[in-house]
Amino acid sequence: MERDLLRQALGFHGPPLLSLLHTEQHDNPDFRGLLPPGGGGLESLSSARKERGIENIEIQQFISKKADLLFSHSWKTNVPIVKDGNEDNEDYYAIMPPLEQFMEIPSAERRELFFRDIERGDIVIGRISSIREFGFFMVLFCLRSGVVREIADLEITALCPLRDVPSQSSHGDPLSYYQNGDLIQAAIKDIDRYHEKLSVSLHKSALSPSLANTKLGVISSEDLPLHYRRSIEVASSLETYEKVLHNSLGFANPAVVEFLGSKLGLNESSPPSLMRGLQSKNFNEEDFAVALRKRQSASWALKCVKIGVDYFKEGRHVDAMNEYNKALEIDAQNVEALVARGALYATKGSLNKAIDDFEIALEQCPTHRNARKYLCQTLVERGGQLEEEDKLLNAESYYKKALNIDETFQEADDALLKLRKQIQKSLEIREKQAAKEERQKEKKVETSAEKLRKLLKEEKRLKKKRKKSTSSSSCDTSSDESASSSSSSSSSSSDNKKRKKRSRNRSESSHGSKKHTSRMFSHSSRKEDSYSPPANTSASFLNQKHEMEKLLERQDRLAYQKPEVRDREGDYVFLNTCTEDELYGGKFEDDRDSRYNSKTQANSNKTEKQRRSDRASSDRRDSTGSYHRQSDDRNKASDSGRLEKELGRREGYRKFSPSQAKYSTSPTGSDYSSKSVEHYKQYTSRWMNEPSRYNADGKAEVAWIKNEKESKNREREASQAKGVDEEAMLNGKGQFGSGAKKQLPQNLLNIFNQIAEFEREKGSKQKNQ
Amino acid sequence: MNPTRLQETSQVSANVRIHFKVCRFIMEAGVKLGLRSVPIATACTIYHRFFMEVPLEPYDPYLVAMAALYLAGKVEEQHLRTRDIINVSHRYLHPRSDPLELDTHFWELRDSIVQCELLMLRVLCFRVSFQHPHKLSLTDVLLFMQYLLHYLLSLKHWMNRHSWERTPVAAAAWALLRDSYHGPLCLQHPPQHIAVTVLYLALQCYGVEVPADAEAERPWWQVFSEDLSKPVIDQIVLELIQIYTLDAEI
Repeated sequence: MERDLLRQALGFHGPPLLSLLHTEQHDNPDFRGLLPPGGGGLESLSSARKERGIENIEIQQFISKKADLLFSHSWKTNVPIVKDGNEDNEDYYAIMPPLEQFMEIPSAERRELFFRDIERGDIVIGRISSIREFGFFMVLFCLRSGVVREIADLEITALCPLRDVPSQSSHGDPLSYYQNGDLIQAAIKDIDRYHEKLSVSLHKSALSPSLANTKLGVISSEDLPLHYRRSIEVASSLETYEKVLHNSLGFANPAVVEFLGSKLGLNESSPPSLMRGLQSKNFNEEDFAVALRKRQSASWALKCVKIGVDYFKEGRHVDAMNEYNKALEIDAQNVEALVARGALYATKGSLNKAIDDFEIALEQCPTHRNARKYLCQTLVERGGQLEEEDKLLNAESYYKKALNIDETFQEADDALLKLRKQIQKSLEIREKQAAKEERQKEKKVETSAEKLRKLLKEEKRLKKKRKKSTSSSSCDTSSDESASSSSSSSSSSSDNKKRKKRSRNRSESSHGSKKHTSRMFSHSSRKEDSYSPPANTSASFLNQKHEMEKLLERQDRLAYQKPEVRDREGDYVFLNTCTEDELYGGKFEDDRDSRYNSKTQANSNKTEKQRRSDRASSDRRDSTGSYHRQSDDRNKASDSGRLEKELGRREGYRKFSPSQAKYSTSPTGSDYSSKSVEHYKQYTSRWMNEPSRYNADGKAEVAWIKNEKESKNREREASQAKGVDEEAMLNGKGQFGSGAKKQLPQNLLNIFNQIAEFEREKGSKQKNQ
Repeated sequence: MNPTRLQETSQVSANVRIHFKVCRFIMEAGVKLGLRSVPIATACTIYHRFFMEVPLEPYDPYLVAMAALYLAGKVEEQHLRTRDIINVSHRYLHPRSDPLELDTHFWELRDSIVQCELLMLRVLCFRVSFQHPHKLSLTDVLLFMQYLLHYLLSLKHWMNRHSWERTPVAAAAWALLRDSYHGPLCLQHPPQHIAVTVLYLALQCYGVEVPADAEAERPWWQVFSEDLSKPVIDQIVLELIQIYTLDAEI
């Protein structure tokens, strides 16, 4: 309860009100401590108020009955009153002359009340009456802010001391700027209420913050406030308050009630009332129109959703969708409708739309279990889709999203792990391949001394192996075969892995600096790969064909000889092609790439041929040695693959990764030419289905690179016998390549030549040995 | 008093009670519908006027009230949707019930509101302003509030600003004016008189005196309305307080 207000009322109405309050509010605990005991100090007041007290006994009764409302705290906490600046905008409301002008209150009272009510920071307007060296005096005649009073006839003077007069630019004496009779707008600075003395300031700092932009200083007569001008009019015309009110423009403003209501601090959303039943604080929020409408819409929408679900169960998806859409039209945020529609989208394969719906639903209701569950599932599914499309990073973000929503969602977790491995693997592959390419190039540039050293080492090793194992590669391959036939590529042989590791380390150390670029590059190139159109533009295709024919002949021969190895070789070729694609993809058009590939393939074919012949002599090369052979076969494989899939290079690409897997884990010795494609398919499908296995394969791929390197070395050895042969082939190829593609980098040709030479050298050496 | 007159007066007081209840409904529904003060007052005024022209018996006062709300929203440019009106009214008349389903019953209710609105317009002769002792037009509902607010503003400047801020005179006067629409007071007195009276009563409630009122040539209320006299104020105060007595009764 507002004690002060209650006291004020009691002081006004006297003891009768007190006694009434006692009877009316005696059971109201809020009043118990507030009401002074009956009689008491109020008696003295009663005599003065007696007359009035008798007069308005009904009012007192009314007050006592409504006292709990009238004097409650909440009554006052209406909208905080907007402190009005000095906006006397006639458009908003009728600006009236001061009330006392109509009441015709004697000047003595007005003067007294003026000095009672004036406050610091109020803006006054006056006319300079005299200028002294310490400042100037002004006679006030109207007020702009704070209270609006009629003071024109009160002859109130105010001093504006020199220090409160801002200097006007260059003038030495600020007062010289002012003259007697100037209209000055100033802010009240000090009030001596007892002596009725005022001092004003022209500095802005004297203003209250809300009026800070008011201009102080000299003003013109047009700047005088409207209420003053009106009061002058009224004084001359003696119009009534009502007439002035009706004549003013603002009175016709239809929004005047809202405007003045806010100006006076009246709350329109929870309006005050003295009716007990109309206390808006007792209104239940649920009963308000907005809440009811929402509820109604929600239940209506839910009905539609139910109908839609029934349709859905009947398989009438279009009808179901219509119902869901209707539900969402009624209630755009209806969670059930969103979830149901999302589910329908998901079943229809529109995963993105489904995800959108689920996400909105979850936003609306973060605890909705189905929404969460479905969203996670859909995200993972979409991620899987993207994976298939080879957008691994996008897929990763989807998995992550799913995990963000539900940390315990195992599927997403698994998928993410797999995907990460896959990404890493693919990056590594690119890297390695890039590295390998680099190495190949480098190798070819390697000094002959280094080459010789390496060769010597290799030879030593080979000799040892030969001694150790008499078993040929056939046993190796046969075991591999069985493994592959058992269809799990994950059961990769341990030695393979070791090799891989070794190779990885090596490559990383040697090509660490190039890692970054190659990685990035490899990523993009991979995408390119997947989308590059079949590389059978006429020219390149022809070239390929030529080579392929050649190769095929050779292949056939070889295939009869050593069918087991082919698979591996095939893999090798694929890797080759892919790396080359990557490396040169930027420089060359797709067709050129392919041409180039074919060239290199041919190259390797030839070299491998030599190796093969070698191989007969080299007994225990099983794994390592096989690589040479493989590489031959690879070429063949790739060729055959090409032939088979001239139209679908994409498939070839696809093959490429699974084939790697095959290679690393278990080279199978099935007759290659016919079955290779099937194999690839098999593997691709397996890969897609079981990404976990793919991881292992990834390592294998890496390892492969090493192997390849080794095999290269061995190639060299092997080529001893057929060095000349090979060289010729290489040369031929090089020519061929240059003929076909003028843009083939010259240095590559050089490299090839070098290799050829090197092999020749080796070959001669071996012979010598 | 003969028995028929007694019966009549009891009948009249019963009607007054019903109207009070229905006006309470209008105000509460108005707040829940988010209506501003003016449209609510307009709805009450329309309601009272309608039942000045026609007897209560053949009509469902709540339907009339709903139509009055709908019409007032149109008149005062704060359009309401019938669906919201029906929802709020249904909830008011059947507390804690679920919102109506949007079925044929609902549409019947909606139609009846629209029909009733047309009927009211016919009863009120489609006149924006019509023949009345005080020549009140529909939009004149604004006047009550306009007058009061301007009076309050003038008074505010004359009063000491601290005592003004401390004392919720404006809110009390506003509440009294709004509450006065529970009865047909607005139709029986000119807006200036009502405005002055609620201001007077608000000042009385807090024991606030208009400064220098005793010394003035003219009391403050006479400034606001020339033809007003103290007895008239007292009379209206009594009528106003009478309205509040019904509040305790229902």
